[in-house]
Amino acid sequence: MINKPHVDWFALSPSLGLIGVSFVLLLVAVLVPKNARKPVAAFLAFAGFVGSCALSVLLYDRSAQAVTAVHDAIFRDRWSALAQVLLAGSGAVAVLISYREKMREEHIAEYYALLTAAGAGMAFFVQASNLMTLFLGLEWFSIALYVLTAIDIDLIGSLEAGLKYLIVGAVGSATLLFGSALVYGTTGQLSFDKIAAAGHGHDVMLVAGLAMVIAGLAFKASAAPFHMWTPDAYQGAPTPVTAFMSSATKIAALVVTYRVLTTAFPHDQRLWSGAIAGIAIASLAWGNIGALVQRNVKRLLAYSSVSHAGFMLIGIAAANALGARALMYYLIPYAAMSLGAFAVVAARERELGVPVTLHNLAGFGWERPVLGISMWVFVLGMLGFPLTGGFFGKFYVFAAAYRHGWWWLIVAGVIATMISAYYYLGIVRAMYFRESAELQLAPAGGAPNRELLLSAGVLICLVVTVGSFFAVQPLIDVARHAANALPL
Amino acid sequence: MRGPDIQWYVILSAILFSVGALGVMLRRSPLIILLSVEIMLNAANLLLIAFSRLHGREDGQIFAISVMAVAASEVVVGLGMIVAMGRRHVDLDVDKLRTLRG
Repeated sequence: MINKPHVDWFALSPSLGLIGVSFVLLLVAVLVPKNARKPVAAFLAFAGFVGSCALSVLLYDRSAQAVTAVHDAIFRDRWSALAQVLLAGSGAVAVLISYREKMREEHIAEYYALLTAAGAGMAFFVQASNLMTLFLGLEWFSIALYVLTAIDIDLIGSLEAGLKYLIVGAVGSATLLFGSALVYGTTGQLSFDKIAAAGHGHDVMLVAGLAMVIAGLAFKASAAPFHMWTPDAYQGAPTPVTAFMSSATKIAALVVTYRVLTTAFPHDQRLWSGAIAGIAIASLAWGNIGALVQRNVKRLLAYSSVSHAGFMLIGIAAANALGARALMYYLIPYAAMSLGAFAVVAARERELGVPVTLHNLAGFGWERPVLGISMWVFVLGMLGFPLTGGFFGKFYVFAAAYRHGWWWLIVAGVIATMISAYYYLGIVRAMYFRESAELQLAPAGGAPNRELLLSAGVLICLVVTVGSFFAVQPLIDVARHAANALPL
Repeated sequence: MRGPDIQWYVILSAILFSVGALGVMLRRSPLIILLSVEIMLNAANLLLIAFSRLHGREDGQIFAISVMAVAASEVVVGLGMIVAMGRRHVDLDVDKLRTLRG
């Protein structure tokens, strides 16, 4: 007689719902006639993400008490539920951006199937409560993302990006796995709580394992010096995929990093806190300096995402309740800003049919006022300007570092923000302040049709970016409830 | 018969992991690089199984088996990409993959 664990289906529902939609989409790929396939697939994927978002909200509401479910394999608490809300929301917006992307029509349903599968993997990953579910969740969404990056198989750049992402990502996973094995060896336990309870504070093998786990997660969060795949993968992937990767992967990786460090390694807090601070500073420096010389807008935004990883890691390095709150809050406007910025890039790319550079962005602000102003708001938000959530995001992260007593992290953050003004404002300059002779108007035959769905996606991002500034108190409260699930 | 002590397993898997990591960094063919990644994953597997025997628990072995499944699917994706590149007559040398750089 085998003892079956009690399965809390409701706790698994955001992830199971999405993977269910993914299976249905694979059937759509063969059963639905070719001309109806694209709208049906896109609608199903969108509905799946919205449904998963709704389930996560319910889960958030009903998980005030943090518990582990399914035989200690997953957490059911508000920290993961809030992350799932953000992940599913990002996925829904990514579907809106994807709809008009030029892709091989015959594989369109598979594209959405992979997108929902990646979303499901991330939703599972943020709930992971032992080393095995951690690794499986990580690989689940990573493998889906490798294929998505390389899905535009006619484009050499896309294949190249996919292969590079796969190789570097696999090295990251192997590092995480080896670290997990070392931790397992020292403590004899797989689940985070029991690893902490086993309490082998400064065992050499445990510390080596911890370092490798941090490195493996930093690969996924694209934090320097583990970011080398980021610019290539972001530039080569189809733009909607880049948008999804930049927001959702970062949410998943950072939320899980904080969770693993606080629940499994509370005794080594001084160690990991210092290590994360180092990675944060490296990301800030590398991301901002790298972005200064970029002409390709997708590549520029990729480096900017590395620097944002640095800002959010400051919140983790602070290792206090304020830092957890700051991280959760920061992720909300960050996800919206990066999705929105890549959506605008996608719109321009479809107009011109060539990769978007700072040069051919000229005049875009005048040509497409709504998208232009949205892009303006997004880059100002990334810069941390008031009237956008980016301002409070940086503010809270710095406040957390201050409470930890690490003023030098704040200094590094402020310097990084000042450097970033150059390239963020460079985008605005490219869109608005160019001589009329330099303007790159849409090719002859008039501009392509305005894209309602993409514009809707951009508007959602705009509302979240600006709204998170004005609704900062309720959002911080939500983030505080989420952070209460962590043992800080 | 108990076999060698645990530290030998740790040393062997550390060596395997380093061999894999060096292979990823030094070799140029994407096929060999994928192989090296497999070596890294299997080094971790060996460690998991050794520790699972040391602690007398089964969960490490279950972990190792699921890692094998995951590793296989990762290789499938990697090989698929390499085949697609081969069909497009891209040079299979990672040093020459420099459409994306900067």
